[in-house]
Amino acid sequence: MMLCLGIESTAHTFAISVVDSSGRIRSDVRDIYRAPEGKGIHPRDASRHHMEASSKVLHEALDSAAVTMQDIDIIGYSAGPGLGPCLRVGAVVARALAGYYEKPLVLVNHALGHIELGALLTGASDPLVLLVSGGHTMLLAFSHGRWRVFGETLDITVGQLLDQFGRSLGFASPCGGKIEEISKESSGEYLQLPYAIKGNDVSFSGLLTAAIRIASENHDRLASVCSSLQETAFAMLAEAVERALSFTGKKEAMIVGGVAANRKLGWMLRQACERHGAKLFACPTEFAGDNGAQISWTALRQYRAEKKHISIEKSYVSQSWRLDTVDVSWRRP
Amino acid sequence: MQPRLIKKGAEADIYLIDWFGRKAVSKIRSPKPYRHKELDAVLRKRRTIHEAALMSAAKATGVVCPFIFFVDPSRAEIIMEFVKGSNVRDELTLSLCEKLGQCAAMLHSGKIIHGDLTTSNFIIDGKKLVLLDFGLAYYSERTEDAATDLRLIKEVFTSAHVEVKGSFQRFMKGYSSIAGKKRADRILENVHEIEQRGRYARFT
Repeated sequence: MMLCLGIESTAHTFAISVVDSSGRIRSDVRDIYRAPEGKGIHPRDASRHHMEASSKVLHEALDSAAVTMQDIDIIGYSAGPGLGPCLRVGAVVARALAGYYEKPLVLVNHALGHIELGALLTGASDPLVLLVSGGHTMLLAFSHGRWRVFGETLDITVGQLLDQFGRSLGFASPCGGKIEEISKESSGEYLQLPYAIKGNDVSFSGLLTAAIRIASENHDRLASVCSSLQETAFAMLAEAVERALSFTGKKEAMIVGGVAANRKLGWMLRQACERHGAKLFACPTEFAGDNGAQISWTALRQYRAEKKHISIEKSYVSQSWRLDTVDVSWRRP
Repeated sequence: MQPRLIKKGAEADIYLIDWFGRKAVSKIRSPKPYRHKELDAVLRKRRTIHEAALMSAAKATGVVCPFIFFVDPSRAEIIMEFVKGSNVRDELTLSLCEKLGQCAAMLHSGKIIHGDLTTSNFIIDGKKLVLLDFGLAYYSERTEDAATDLRLIKEVFTSAHVEVKGSFQRFMKGYSSIAGKKRADRILENVHEIEQRGRYARFT
């Protein structure tokens, strides 16, 4: 049995988790940076938060797993994509631990982590993946050694759409939950918003501009604006999923990422999948958003398949590390 | 002949029917229960009308697409010619890539943007290449819009057809042979620009 300590610090979450090679999550401790209301993540403030939280999170992660650093076999860290200053904190902690305790260091693609953990927790074997978060809006399927992009956003992500819209109203990020809550009070009225599907891809920037404008003109109908925004954005995602299912013929779909916690989106996707005879696997809400287990588990799989680690001198972070450039040797076909 | 469901597409169901003694296809965009009623109605109606209009217009550019027999926007139904042959998605070759490129360039020369230019929307029957599914098509002269079509097929090549090496280059060869090298290069540059706008694109 191998134990991996995984460190996640791509954006607002600083997390450390201990996972064993049977896939049991021994511990998962997170500390989340909260931006002031109406503001987004400030990379410098977030990285300072991570720095200050790191020692406490590390101790709690080890304690609640009832292990010490000596028991750990490998150390994984999230090397990108993400915010540079935040990524560097995770990398520094990982290097320090790997150097001092002489443990192999493995770097992990954050997006791959979402998928691998989602597959572990849901049991999906060969799914079409919808990765929806603040950083990603992508439809992927595995073929020829990599996760291939069958559709994605051409501009901002669905997480950014919800957050930036919410922030324009003075909400605290992440705003998806609050927007869903307000939507429930809507009478069911639909306000016309731009619906932009381009083949298999989606575009949310026009929708964001229109939604902000409509919200500023309809203060008394905020619930309708929120629900119309959800209806439009999620219908676009559901259509993109239907297109990809129809094209690939996959019989499984899996939704991962922070926005996977949205109930309305899950409900719509379930129906979209049913139409194509596909089963929808939703990542459990507590592991949908950023966490350390996604990094530990992926590092373990990677290390066991490739038997490779990176030296501290050569370890790095990469703010723009696209998932479709990562070779995945442990998945077939 | 009883209508027979032959394909459940992403947004429409395709039935094989008898149309006054001819074998025909009925494409119905059925309501999607998960979508808001008003949004659903607008999308289904708009796409049905666009599809019928642009499919007819496309023929003037020399692109082969099915003949339309009947359109019913209220039911979001189009009855059209049945096209035999096989789906290009299932048997893509390099020479077919080139033909796809020629077809796209012809369409663009008529200021028509397909909007859903994927390999699964082409049928090949011997030498005849037929383009389907104009539901997302529109008129435009903008380089950016032509580039959107090319970016999409590039995405399809790199995701669904990894084993066909050099597919996009061959596609562009076909495209240039119709559109001219200068025009093709300009659109290609725009494709690159769109890619750079994407998430986590490399800033090269």
